[in-house]
Amino acid sequence: MLRAARHEYRDYSSLLEDYYERGWTDGLPVVPPTPESVELFLDRAGLEPDRVLGAVPTREVVVTAEHAAINAVMAGCRPEYFPTVVAAIRAHLHEMGNCHSTTGTLSGASQIVVVNGPVRGEIGVECRGACFGPGFRANATIGRALRLVIRNVCRAVPGVFDRASLSTPMRYAFCFGEDEEANDWLPLHVERGFSPQESTATVHSTMQVCEVMDYTSRTPEAICEGWLAEILRRGIFADRFVAQANILIVVSAEHQRYFNQAGWSKADLRNHLWQRCQASGENAKRIMLGGPEGFLVVGAGGPGHATTWLFFPHLAWAITQRIESANDERRT
Amino acid sequence: MRDAIELEWAGVPSLAIIHEAVRGSAESMARLSGFPDYGFILVDYPWIPTAVWTDDEVRTLARRVAPQVIERFVRG
Repeated sequence: MLRAARHEYRDYSSLLEDYYERGWTDGLPVVPPTPESVELFLDRAGLEPDRVLGAVPTREVVVTAEHAAINAVMAGCRPEYFPTVVAAIRAHLHEMGNCHSTTGTLSGASQIVVVNGPVRGEIGVECRGACFGPGFRANATIGRALRLVIRNVCRAVPGVFDRASLSTPMRYAFCFGEDEEANDWLPLHVERGFSPQESTATVHSTMQVCEVMDYTSRTPEAICEGWLAEILRRGIFADRFVAQANILIVVSAEHQRYFNQAGWSKADLRNHLWQRCQASGENAKRIMLGGPEGFLVVGAGGPGHATTWLFFPHLAWAITQRIESANDERRT
Repeated sequence: MRDAIELEWAGVPSLAIIHEAVRGSAESMARLSGFPDYGFILVDYPWIPTAVWTDDEVRTLARRVAPQVIERFVRG
């Protein structure tokens, strides 16, 4: 049985104005959540409304499946996206996802959702050209649904627990898929212990984003030097709670080709980066990744622009969560 | 703020020292935690909010807030 309070409006315009007034949106219009649509979403994931997806103890917050479904409807999701939204919420609310810190920080850290596995094709998560940007309903609304939960349920509202000095447009929505079919690299989720037939959502909270454009390098080592210049200059920090962090490296198609031509696996790439960091002397102390597995390498994007994006962490681990089907959920 | 309140719950008299830049969220946390009037000492510029301070800055700040801390604990 749904627990949320019911509100009735004479028309869509009055609903929107009231939602804005109550602070229930990110500033953009939302889809009105009706009991029928919320129940449809819950059914799609096989979840009872009161199923707990996670909590933020310092904020007296418990996030239920009903909360998640309401916000996923509001974000504009289709019902079939909801299991992916649920996985992203669970990943973010993992203790080491550190919701209180990563959504309250002055730095305005944002949450990136990386989708892996067959679900990408099933629901249309874009992995290639323009996948970071607008134009893809699954990418836009799954990312937005997570952020609406963070705002409307986890209280990360500017002036309350969102203390960002500037914040970032990435906080509206940031979700994309790994282009697993572009090369022979093991997908992120397989490297993290899942099978290729499983689908997952990985949530990485990022505080600094750095694009390394490099049209001139033609070898893996040379491309890595451009990344390392930024990594060693900025450092990768962790505190006592997280102990060690992850950096997400999204390699575009034009850079992937040089690693593939040279036969470099992701493990080769990670080991090279780690060894170079260790060899950098004093700077090595500022690379708090714990080992080569701290580099999370993902291939994505379309051809043309020779670039790699480095997503430096906030104080959290990148957590990967399996996307459960309705049948899986009903069994548990 | 939450740390101070949780220590109070554990029976340890506590006091929060809050920077002006995060005053709003500290007050929200006090309300949320059931202590809307929980007192705190406010720190402002030239000390920057992220506590990346020199040793001299820390000492100067400590000298400035110590009397307020003592007064709060003694007078309640």
